[in-house]
Amino acid sequence: MADPATLSPAPLLKDELDIVIPTIRNLDFLEMWRPFFQPYHLIIVQDGDPSKIIKVPQGFDYELYNRNDINRILGPKASCISFKDSACRCFGYMVSKKKYIYTIDDDCFVAKDPSGNDINALQQHIKNLLSPSTPFFFNTLYDPYRAGADFVRGYPFSLREGVPTAVSHGLWLNIPDYDAPTQLVKPLERNTRYVDAVMSIPKGTLFPMCGMNLAFDRELIGPAMYFGLMGDGQPIGRYDDMWAGWCTKVICDHLGWGVKTGLPYIWHSKASNPFVNLKKEYKGIYWQEELIPFFQSVTLPKDCTSVQKCYIELAKQVKEKLGKVDDYFNKLADAMVTWIEAWDELNPSGASKSAALPNGASK
Amino acid sequence: MVLEPATATQAAAPAMPQLKDELDIVIPTIRNLDFLEMWRPFFQPYHLIIVQDGDPSKTIKVPPGFDYELYNRNDINKILGPKASCISFKDSACRCFGYMVSKKKYIFTIDDDCFVAKDPSGKAVNALEQHIKNLLCPSTPFFFNTLYDPFRDGADFVRGYPFSLREGVPTAVSHGLWLNIPDYDAPTQLVKPLERNTRFVDAVLTIPKGTLFPMCGMNLAFDRDLIGPAMYFGLMGDGQPIGRYDDMWAGWCIKVICDHLGLGVKTGLPYIYHSKASNPFVNLRKEYKGIFWQEEIIPFFQQVVLPKDCTTVQKCYIELAKQVKEKLSKVDPYFDKLGDAMVTWIKAWDELNPPVLNGKAT
Repeated sequence: MADPATLSPAPLLKDELDIVIPTIRNLDFLEMWRPFFQPYHLIIVQDGDPSKIIKVPQGFDYELYNRNDINRILGPKASCISFKDSACRCFGYMVSKKKYIYTIDDDCFVAKDPSGNDINALQQHIKNLLSPSTPFFFNTLYDPYRAGADFVRGYPFSLREGVPTAVSHGLWLNIPDYDAPTQLVKPLERNTRYVDAVMSIPKGTLFPMCGMNLAFDRELIGPAMYFGLMGDGQPIGRYDDMWAGWCTKVICDHLGWGVKTGLPYIWHSKASNPFVNLKKEYKGIYWQEELIPFFQSVTLPKDCTSVQKCYIELAKQVKEKLGKVDDYFNKLADAMVTWIEAWDELNPSGASKSAALPNGASK
Repeated sequence: MVLEPATATQAAAPAMPQLKDELDIVIPTIRNLDFLEMWRPFFQPYHLIIVQDGDPSKTIKVPPGFDYELYNRNDINKILGPKASCISFKDSACRCFGYMVSKKKYIFTIDDDCFVAKDPSGKAVNALEQHIKNLLCPSTPFFFNTLYDPFRDGADFVRGYPFSLREGVPTAVSHGLWLNIPDYDAPTQLVKPLERNTRFVDAVLTIPKGTLFPMCGMNLAFDRDLIGPAMYFGLMGDGQPIGRYDDMWAGWCIKVICDHLGLGVKTGLPYIYHSKASNPFVNLRKEYKGIFWQEEIIPFFQQVVLPKDCTTVQKCYIELAKQVKEKLSKVDPYFDKLGDAMVTWIKAWDELNPPVLNGKAT
């Protein structure tokens, strides 16, 4: 069998997947990803100063949006999109016209597997999304659809078809995704452990979703992938992907879809400043003690049969039950509704391709 | 990758065997115990409980140098009297008799066709040592940690993991895995007779609360004080309509009870090397009813609710037995018998393990 590292297999889903990258600095990291990313369309969301020019390495097909573009496209609804925080990336999800999204941070590079081969993270995410999930019963050999594995003895046969996979959550070698207190206590810790598994996160179980290396089926779960109000003018940061992850999981559990975690790994190169992080996360450390029980006990009514309906209902419950934790959650709940309104405007149902949007520089 | 077990010479005995006097190794066997020779560096410091299945007049030789007690069917009948009816015959389910007679806090159970595996660097895996690590550190069933076991060296809880859940809960069960012959059911074995598990997944993880799993008894350790009475392996084998569901049954019961009592169940490392593929045609005959029954049994366990006043494992188990009778007897009268056997098991357990007052058994 040919060594996969030397082959250039035909890219899967070339015209069905967009790569969304938030950036405030530069896109130099794309050079390393070129062999894997070049066939795909990129959506760059430029955070921070819109007058700065972000150079995209040559040869990539992309559209780029800065804050001016976001304001122009969304008008007043632009208030739901964060500024000076990578949470702004979810604007890219909204304007995409593709079925699948892969999002990655600009400090994430190609990792190597234990045999020294470069990992095509995108290809693994695609495999994860294209094969079913198994959230109702834990398979002790992890992903039963992987070559060389299967369901084990005792796994009910009626559950072996699995359910559609909505989210593929990848991991990171080198700089681990720790919160500020952990970073302060263990500044030298590096994740060197390559765990060769993909698994479904069981129904009813929440997890901390990291946005650094994440793919999802936009048609299934896109509207729930709102990354919240973070950064400039907000009392909290570094909880954008967490918030989206809790919402997404609750909705996937309700609608019967799967969320996978594990492979692929990327190489996370940059450790953010733990003191800055503590300032951003500070309120979150306390708030999450209320947020988690909230999400764990959320029930969505039976008539919430679409992601948007689920999300609007969730926003309502956020206001009702979390408004008392802090007024921030009232604003967030409103922003969640604004997000859905904006999503539906930009993605009217029944239209697979809407009219071309006035966007920023593109090729 | 060439998959082979480690040899006895490759296995390096640990300098200080942990829990030497607090752990028993329970091994069911009907043939011989030759496999122990390979495990010697890792097992010799520990006490073995051999449960000899099948013909009690046969002599099973234990390799010299091991400290052990051995029970055959005559012993089981003598010790339990009429209650011996709950212990299976001609099925490795009989191993749970070993759990009952042990006086130790921890149990490790292993099948006699399981050998020492090698990790990807070629080093022999000390499965017992890893199980002990798993049992001695907390579980995290209430929220999934994406870096798996947060208590392992080089890992931790990730960003977004609530701080109030970082103490974890006591670990009741450590479920290990197998390289080489995978633990497949008969249909899968028939369809994929050549498949071998060659993937070494370097993780231990907690199975989340509310999620059931297929518990395999081939390479299993547990805290007998915490969960022992729930580790009944059911009525299998001779005179029973079903086989190869003993560990499954125990696994569903213990998970429901662990979830209720706030105890953790881990799965993953360690690996052993599973050498023998059982005959899939024989297996199909044994499993046949189970394939259909499990479609009713799983929803039953998924919906079981144990009342708040079930505060001990025994109370939980008796309640479970009651619900099994109420709700599963209509599936087959076997479950009526099984419900009764579950109660008998608890009675036998409590007789052999009377509660300790002031440090002395009453």
